Amino acid sequence: MVDTPASANRERLVANLARVAKGDQAALRAVYDTTAAKLFGVCLRISGDREAAEDILQKVYLKVWDRAGRFDAERASPITWLCAIARNTAIDWRRANGSTAHLPESAAAIVEDDSPLAPEVIDAATQRARIFDCLDALDERPRHAIRAAFFDGLTYSQLAEAMAVPLGTLKSWVRRGLIQLKGCLDDA
Amino acid sequence: MPEPIIPEERDALAAELALGLLEGEERALAMRLRLSDPDFAATVDAWGKRFEPLCAGFEEQPSPALWPAIEHRLGGPGERDSHRALRRWRIGAIASGALAASLAAVLVLRPAPAPVEIVRAPDRTVIAQLGSGDAPGLLAASYDPAGGVLRIRAVRLPDSKLAPELWVIPADGVPRSLGLVAADGVTRVVVDAPHRALLSDGATLAITFEPHDGAPHKAPSSAPIAAGKISTI
Repeated sequence: MVDTPASANRERLVANLARVAKGDQAALRAVYDTTAAKLFGVCLRISGDREAAEDILQKVYLKVWDRAGRFDAERASPITWLCAIARNTAIDWRRANGSTAHLPESAAAIVEDDSPLAPEVIDAATQRARIFDCLDALDERPRHAIRAAFFDGLTYSQLAEAMAVPLGTLKSWVRRGLIQLKGCLDDA
Repeated sequence: MPEPIIPEERDALAAELALGLLEGEERALAMRLRLSDPDFAATVDAWGKRFEPLCAGFEEQPSPALWPAIEHRLGGPGERDSHRALRRWRIGAIASGALAASLAAVLVLRPAPAPVEIVRAPDRTVIAQLGSGDAPGLLAASYDPAGGVLRIRAVRLPDSKLAPELWVIPADGVPRSLGLVAADGVTRVVVDAPHRALLSDGATLAITFEPHDGAPHKAPSSAPIAAGKISTI
C-alpha cells in the first residue's frame, strides 16, 4: 500500500498538534482546516442536527485546544484521537438531549448513505470501503448493534434495551460480529 | 468477570473497550488491563484504527462562520452563550450573504464582555443580559414568572428607523417574537401563556431591528444586535 500522502498528512497533523499544545492559535487553525469537514461529519452523524453539530464542533476544537498536550503520537493516530474527541463530545450532547430512543434507526440508516468520498486520500477511501463492506457482511443484528455502538455511543446495556433482547444474547451477537469483522478486515 | 485468556476473547474485549460498549466493573477491568498489559493496549489501539474509517466516511463542510466563532472563544472566557446565539441565528435565520458577512464581522469584533449589569431580583426570577460592553446593543432583562411579566431595559441601542423586537430562542433554535420594545428606558412585556414556558434556563433572548408594521413578526429579518442567555437566579 502506497501511503505517502497519508503519512505526510499525518506528520503535519502531529506537528501542528504539538504546536497547539504550546498555545499556538495558528496551528489550531491549521488542524481545523484539515480536519473540520471530517469531524463535522462525525458530529452531524451522531447529533442528526446541523445546528447542534456546529455547536458540538466548536466544543470539539476548544477541547483540542485544551488537551493537545495529552495527545501521544506514539500511541494513537491523530485522526483517531480527534475523532474520539468529536465522537465523545457528540455522544455527550446526544445523551444530554435525551434522544436515545430512536437511535438504532439512525444507525441503521448510516450504511445506506452514500455520501461522496473526500478526494484527497485514496487510501482512506479504500479503507472506508473495506470496513463498510465488512460491516455489510455481518448478520443484521450484530451489524446494527456495532453501528449503534459506534455512532450513537450506546453501551451493551443500552443496546440491549434499545433492541429489546437479553444482555447475554446481545453480547454474544456483538462478540461474534467483532471477531468476524476483524477476520474480514485482515483478509481483505 | 474472569481474566480473559482465550486470544479471541481478549481481542473481543479490546474491541468492546475501543467501541465504548463496556460500563461499570467490566469497563474498569478492561481499563486496568489496558494499563498493565502493553499487548492488550496495542490491541485496543488496533481496534481504534480499524474503526477510524467510519469517522472519515461522512465529510461535510461546516459553516464558514464556525472558525471565527471558535477563534473568538479562544480569546477568553465569557460571552459564550450570546455568541452561540448569534451564530445559531446566522445559520437559522439569515440567508443573505451580506448579512452573514456583517454578522461575521460582529463575531470577530465582539470584544471581551464588559462588567455584567447586575439586576437584583427576588428568587426564581429569570434574568439575562443582552449584548456586552462594546457591542452595538446592550440590554438587561428580568422576568417574574409569577406575573408573566418581562421587564427589559435598553441600556444602549444604535439609532435606527426600525424598532427593536425581542425574541426568545429556546432549545429548538426557533426564534419566537415577544413583541417590540422601546429603544430606551424600560419596557414591560406581558408574556402570553404559550411563550412563558420558553423563558427558562438556557434559552436565549435576542433583539433585532424590524419594521414597526406587522409586529410581532413570525421570524426575524435581520441579524440580532444583542443576544444573551437566560439564567434563573
